[in-house]
Amino acid sequence: MTEARANGKPILNVQDVHLAFGGIKAVNGATFDVREGSITALIGPNGAGKTTLFNIITGFYKPQAGEITYNGESIFGKPPHAITKRGMVRTFQITKALGAMPVIDNMLLAAPRQPGENLATLLTRRRAVRQREKEIYDHAYELLRTFNLESKANDYAATLSGGQRKLLELARALMTEPRMVLLDEPMAGINPSLGRRLLEHMERLRSEEGVTFLFVEHDMEVVMNHSDEVIVMALGRVISRGTPQEVRSDQRVVDAYLGGSGETEVPEGPPTPPSADGGVQGG
Amino acid sequence: MSLPLAISFNFLTAWEFWIGVGVFAGIYGIFVLGLQLNVGYTGIVNFGQAGFMAIGAYSAIILVVEVGVPFLLALVLSVLITMLIGVLIGLPSLRLRADYFAIATIAFSEIIRDIAQNARGLTGGNQGTISLELDNNVFFTDPWFKVSDWISDNILDPIGLSGLEFENLPLLIVVWIALGLLALGMTMLIRSPWGRVLRAIREDEDAARALGKNVLSYKLQSLALSSALGAIAGWFLAFNLQSVSQDNFEPLYTFLGYAILVLGGMATFGGVLVGSIILWTVLEGFRFLDLPLSADKQAALRFMIVGVVLILLMAFRPQGVFGKREEMVLGD
Repeated sequence: MTEARANGKPILNVQDVHLAFGGIKAVNGATFDVREGSITALIGPNGAGKTTLFNIITGFYKPQAGEITYNGESIFGKPPHAITKRGMVRTFQITKALGAMPVIDNMLLAAPRQPGENLATLLTRRRAVRQREKEIYDHAYELLRTFNLESKANDYAATLSGGQRKLLELARALMTEPRMVLLDEPMAGINPSLGRRLLEHMERLRSEEGVTFLFVEHDMEVVMNHSDEVIVMALGRVISRGTPQEVRSDQRVVDAYLGGSGETEVPEGPPTPPSADGGVQGG
Repeated sequence: MSLPLAISFNFLTAWEFWIGVGVFAGIYGIFVLGLQLNVGYTGIVNFGQAGFMAIGAYSAIILVVEVGVPFLLALVLSVLITMLIGVLIGLPSLRLRADYFAIATIAFSEIIRDIAQNARGLTGGNQGTISLELDNNVFFTDPWFKVSDWISDNILDPIGLSGLEFENLPLLIVVWIALGLLALGMTMLIRSPWGRVLRAIREDEDAARALGKNVLSYKLQSLALSSALGAIAGWFLAFNLQSVSQDNFEPLYTFLGYAILVLGGMATFGGVLVGSIILWTVLEGFRFLDLPLSADKQAALRFMIVGVVLILLMAFRPQGVFGKREEMVLGD
């Protein structure tokens, strides 16, 4: 874990980003970077601005100030589709499976460089369209196989279970050929065995294909055991960052969870190995 | 004593009646193909289709009668003009939430109608375009009637379909060939990767955005194609009526389009054809029923019957005649 941290150069850089909704400063000067090839967790009490920050990074909200660079290029204020085309893709807290479309169509849709998605080239380059369609069809089936969704390929996506939809969303995001994937609460509302499978996929993609992951998560066991780095937000700012061990012993993090928001939610250390100090386990 | 209501259904055996129904069903079938693309496949609620039909009809007529553009070129130009206006209307309004977009489009179509009514020098106002044609002594439909006569003389007469009651049969044939080809073309488009993006936008715009699709661009393309279909329906309406005026483009016709859409079913182009035939049979049939009612009341009654048909449909077959129930139920 520490190895990845030492070697990776930043792929995403967020500098002093601000966004207020009326008087509420949802994101108030957040600054951090994410190293290439890392699995980085973004945590914080409810209302810390994690999802808002996700929406800003991926172009769904326009920030009022700051700078965001991805892969050495500014993506500040760019629309979502342009950011996805640069190789950064996201999933949503509440899954957005396209319910009335078959699973396979969900997958095919996400593939880039299909000339058939442009009316002019659809009509003039029919061979290229067919050929690309075949390519992405094969690639989609391959991904569905790795995610154990192959048997569901022709079912409407709405018939999948909640956990299967999360898997489909990740598989579909991978169809865009991303270098970085942002996951908003991937473990929420899915059964533990599917959750484990999702984590295995993340770790495999990181090690085999060098995909960078940034994910928001409330399940502290997942955060502490499966991330290389943890970024902690509270009240729209980044208050701490470091390895899971470092963050757990940071007094500011303890205060944010116990004091600031009045939340009862407390980050718990992993059951094994026993934590070196009981820093954030107070209560 | 005989029944107080002596209803005669004799009209149902008359060629003229069915040709009339067929022509309207075909024209509004083309009109509704556009609505189907917008509402059934892209999820944008376009209430301005009658406005696009008006622009198509008026611009073709004005180009021929007042500018002197050749007939075929005018038809092509009228479609391009309508598409351009569709894009100009869509650019600001498609950024709005769906319900506000619907309001913006109905306002647009009423603005077009107001212009048609008041810019008398350009459109002939309430007298209709016939007054322009008489002033200029140029008749928009002349080239069409040459085609129509040719079809009658060379194809229909030899098989015995001649005479006054078959006068409009050439138009029926041409409209339905156009409708068939356009429906086929739209079906192929919607099955293409391009259509897949549209359906994804209908399901969830944000998901489509997150997967790298420029949603506004696709919505504009959908609206531009639908306005082109409206314009083509506008030509045929002008061929059929020979003179158009603003009251042919009341919002009522857009709503009838929606009735056809619901009758035939969402997300099916074949359903549009069937829905259109059903609706126009009911609407035109009532015109010929000999009811002991004043003409006004009978005209109003037609629309009540359409309403009853729609309510029954919602109760017993909510997906329409051809709609896919799965796509409706699984939508959210």
